[in-house]
Amino acid sequence: MRPSHVLRRALLTALLLSGVWTTSLAAQQQHVLIITGLGGEPAYRAAFADVARRLHDVAATRWRVPAAQITALVEDPTRDPQRFRGRSTKDAVAAAFLAMAGRVKPGDLVFVFLHGHGSGVGPEATVNLAGPDPTAADYATYLSGFTQQTIVFVNAASASGDFTRVLAGPRRVVLTSTKSSVERNETQFAGHFVRGLESLEADGNKDGRVSVLEAFDYARRETEKAYEAANKLLTEHALLSDSTLAATVAFGARATSSDPRVAALIAERTALEEQVTALRARKSTMPEATYDAELERLLVAIAEKTRAIRAAGGTP
Amino acid sequence: MSDQLTFTHRVRRASRALSGAIVLTSTALLLGASCADAQDRRAILALADAGRLDDAEAAARAAGSSEAVTLGDVLVLRGRLDAADSAYAAAIAVRAPLARVAQIGRAELLERRGAIDQALTAAEVIAEAYRRDGRAWSAEEHLAAGRAWVLLSRTDARLAQQALAAFDAAFAADPTLLDARVRVGVLFLTKYAAADAKKSFDEVLGVRADHPGALAGLARLQEFEGSSEAMETARKALASNPALVPAHVVVARLHLDAEAYDSARVATDRALAVDSTAVDAWAIRAAAGWLVGDSAQYRMARARAEAIDAKPADFFATLAEAAVRHRRYSDGVRWAEEAVAIDPRSVRALGVLGTNQLRLGDIPTGRATLERAFAADPYNTWHKNTLDLLDAMSGFRVAERGRFRLVTSPEEAALMEVYLLPLLEEAYDSLATRYRWTPSRAVRFEVFRNHADFSVRAIGLNGLGALGVSFGDVLAMDAPSARDPGTFNWGSTAWHELAHTFTLGASANRVPRWLSEGLSVLEERRARRGWGATASPEFLAAYKAGQLRPLSRINDGFMRPRYPGEIQFSYYLASLVCEMLEREFGAVVFPALLEAFRQGLETSDAFQRATKQPLDSLDARFTRYMTSRFGTALGNLEAGEGPGDVRGPYVDALRAGAEAMASKRADAARAAFERAQAMLPGVEPVNGPSWYLARLALERGDTVAAITQLQRITQVHESALAPNTLEAELHAARGDDRALMQALERIIWTSPYDAAVHVQLAEAAARVGAWPVAVRERRAVLATRPADPLEARYQLARALQGAGDLTAARREVLGILETAPGFEQAQALLLELRQPPGGAR
Repeated sequence: MRPSHVLRRALLTALLLSGVWTTSLAAQQQHVLIITGLGGEPAYRAAFADVARRLHDVAATRWRVPAAQITALVEDPTRDPQRFRGRSTKDAVAAAFLAMAGRVKPGDLVFVFLHGHGSGVGPEATVNLAGPDPTAADYATYLSGFTQQTIVFVNAASASGDFTRVLAGPRRVVLTSTKSSVERNETQFAGHFVRGLESLEADGNKDGRVSVLEAFDYARRETEKAYEAANKLLTEHALLSDSTLAATVAFGARATSSDPRVAALIAERTALEEQVTALRARKSTMPEATYDAELERLLVAIAEKTRAIRAAGGTP
Repeated sequence: MSDQLTFTHRVRRASRALSGAIVLTSTALLLGASCADAQDRRAILALADAGRLDDAEAAARAAGSSEAVTLGDVLVLRGRLDAADSAYAAAIAVRAPLARVAQIGRAELLERRGAIDQALTAAEVIAEAYRRDGRAWSAEEHLAAGRAWVLLSRTDARLAQQALAAFDAAFAADPTLLDARVRVGVLFLTKYAAADAKKSFDEVLGVRADHPGALAGLARLQEFEGSSEAMETARKALASNPALVPAHVVVARLHLDAEAYDSARVATDRALAVDSTAVDAWAIRAAAGWLVGDSAQYRMARARAEAIDAKPADFFATLAEAAVRHRRYSDGVRWAEEAVAIDPRSVRALGVLGTNQLRLGDIPTGRATLERAFAADPYNTWHKNTLDLLDAMSGFRVAERGRFRLVTSPEEAALMEVYLLPLLEEAYDSLATRYRWTPSRAVRFEVFRNHADFSVRAIGLNGLGALGVSFGDVLAMDAPSARDPGTFNWGSTAWHELAHTFTLGASANRVPRWLSEGLSVLEERRARRGWGATASPEFLAAYKAGQLRPLSRINDGFMRPRYPGEIQFSYYLASLVCEMLEREFGAVVFPALLEAFRQGLETSDAFQRATKQPLDSLDARFTRYMTSRFGTALGNLEAGEGPGDVRGPYVDALRAGAEAMASKRADAARAAFERAQAMLPGVEPVNGPSWYLARLALERGDTVAAITQLQRITQVHESALAPNTLEAELHAARGDDRALMQALERIIWTSPYDAAVHVQLAEAAARVGAWPVAVRERRAVLATRPADPLEARYQLARALQGAGDLTAARREVLGILETAPGFEQAQALLLELRQPPGGAR
């Protein structure tokens, strides 16, 4: 069986059938594909399944991704048939990408999370699934059709680093838990990554959403702290392919409102936040007292806008 | 003719004396040997090796010119340097087979006399010849070459490698030439390569268990490592060779370190009786005099040393080392400076100087000095370790607040600053009042995340068992992260070390070690309830069995421990002595004692002055004190087979309780544990009956009883993490915030890195309105680098608001919102803080 070129044609076809492009953020949908591989030992099986379950719940409850747009493929789907769609095999992964291709619209966000025991080098890098393992090159093929979507691809497995350069591309953010295929020890990145998303501890700017960059920074930091606390040498160094894009891609819904009054307040507040950003950029060129006074004025104004939004029945 | 006859007669008498001799060599046992046989060089040296120097010299003389070199060697051992030089010269003149041995002998004599350049020139001649055709040399000649390289390594440390190679060649040529291996060991010792040195000495001792040179080398190694075996090993060396000067010198130094100055003098006398030119022995004699203020003895010893070598750099280096081992660091620097002035190339002197400049807090100067030492000898492990540490410390953060300079790694700095600085300021005020003395400059306090780094800072090498060290107003200790959680209390350790600053300072560094340690432990107990060492069944059993030292010899418990736990017991013992002194004579006794030491009084005189009692009489007082305090407990404990083992009714009751508990007979277990508890009033073992009674109480749901039992432990043991954690859980469940706060504070002083503990304490403090604590804890949370730093800062702002510090709260909130303008809770707080008191805008 040689699914790759067949799949590619299928993906392109699906995308062509998906309709006219739109870049409206308000219409953006999120699609989530979670893949965890063979554990080999009970402890790893349980750990991988736990990560899959928690990430599923984050997508469903926090990001409010519809169930039909979440696919979790795991070693043993019978552990949690409500959450786990199927067994993680190469064919199932390919089919999941195909199905997703049929659903996505231009401007949508596609989030792929891969975890397990990694190995291999370069395009042949893999994560161990039941049966044949898709390589990094295979995943690149699966993603090749998603040219009008934003892709966030996380490989939290050991020896995952080579996925970054194989999968990197326009409108793509690739995160790996290791910097190369040489870092083959068990990784801790996944647990911290998921925790950051589910607890909102990773929400560094407290805007109610977690950007990919925030999630990455949080997971990397917490991973390092965990090794330090255990007095162990850090054997995993996470990588991020595009921090600029990563800062702009966030999970969860932005504040919106159908009430024009509230919508106007939100827009005013957003404009004030942008003024704060601009002011910070000028900080080094301003006298300290002037900066502080202007900063406080803007921040008070933002706070008052938030209060007004709440008073008008909106959600900031 | 008559002279020859007389000489022959003396030889015959010597031979009769030799007839009962046992010559201890691995290849030539000369039981009942006659003098004629002893003419062999090995036989003569064997006599010398057995300490029979008269016989050795007589035999060498009897052998005539053929043993001129051997005669020279024996004369050197006896300190008759001129005669030795003549003997060597004679051997060289007749081109004796061991002329090269004579050459190096003469070179070493020049070195001993301070004629370094001539010595080096003479050694170079041997070295050059060795380079040319050394392969064909005999074992003794290889050895001579090795000695030449050792001498030459004074100016080029790399030549130590050549020395090692030559010694190895000597041993390969003649495996019975054990001296070659001993010299290898000694060479490694000079580089602080302890493992390699030990290997060499062990190798020799494996062939000949009583080899005096190897035993003396091993004793030096053990001395350096602070091993309690050093004295015994030195005595074994002397049993084998009573005339072995290096062994006498080790014994003298050990006595000096134990502040047994008379014994040190006796040991040096023995060394000097063999060899009156032993500068090391004169140096220790001088040190013994200087340390007790006997300037006449010091001057005499110095004059004798200078008569041998007009510029005795090693004399002053030895004085410096002795001063440092008596915590007289400034004096150590002074002596070391004098040594360096005499011999700027002396690695030993530079090392002592640089290390102690660092200990006095002069980091740039100390570092520069050690760089010089290292450049001269890159094989010196101590210096290399220290320089590596200084490189690491260059990234440390320095916080100068109040009367302290806190030096910590960046990872630890924030948390250490939150807790240590206020604690140290509190300790400072308390100690200054009690000891009526204050440091003249800010106290430098260094905290190390890595125990190996702390150990290197303290002694230049890894492996120190201590938690902290004081060099006066420069202190160093392990950070809590340097050890497993629950193994020590870092607050009491800091307090302990600072107390040394005051007792050392008030006594001009003359306070005996035991008293300084005893006072430091006592001050720990005063600092916080439950801090400081406490009585244990093991301690009391050892006391009852006479395994602890009387007051008059309490220093030996620190300096010459007889068993592994004795040092630990001695800390607590010393603190009990201090408690007794305070009870009997009032708190003023300590400033009085320290002042007496400052004035140079010896211990017995100082105690006589401060207490108006002879030192010996205090033993009886202490016995009465112990009986009154621990009489019941002592009656229920017996020492077991070894020190630290415990038997007796208490142990029986404990065992009965454990057995009942294991077989689920709760009532029987409780009764047995209560019985055990009653047997030790005033004593609370950390894993004793109270812990089990707490667990039994929990099993039956009696939280109050469990807490009562746990508090018996936590009020006494400063690092009882598990009992404190359990106690905190119980208080939290009962909603008793004040009790919870106390338990959490105790936990923090054992293990401060768990942010959850700080959060819990902050919340409890806020609930009871203890806002300063809440603020401190919120700062501590931030210092633990929490996963959500903005949330942590927000909580800090709330705590500042609660504490009434609205300016700081507002500053904090603006800082948060600058980073995260969308943080809704912080926005709300900002608006709150802008409201005028009592109303909205």
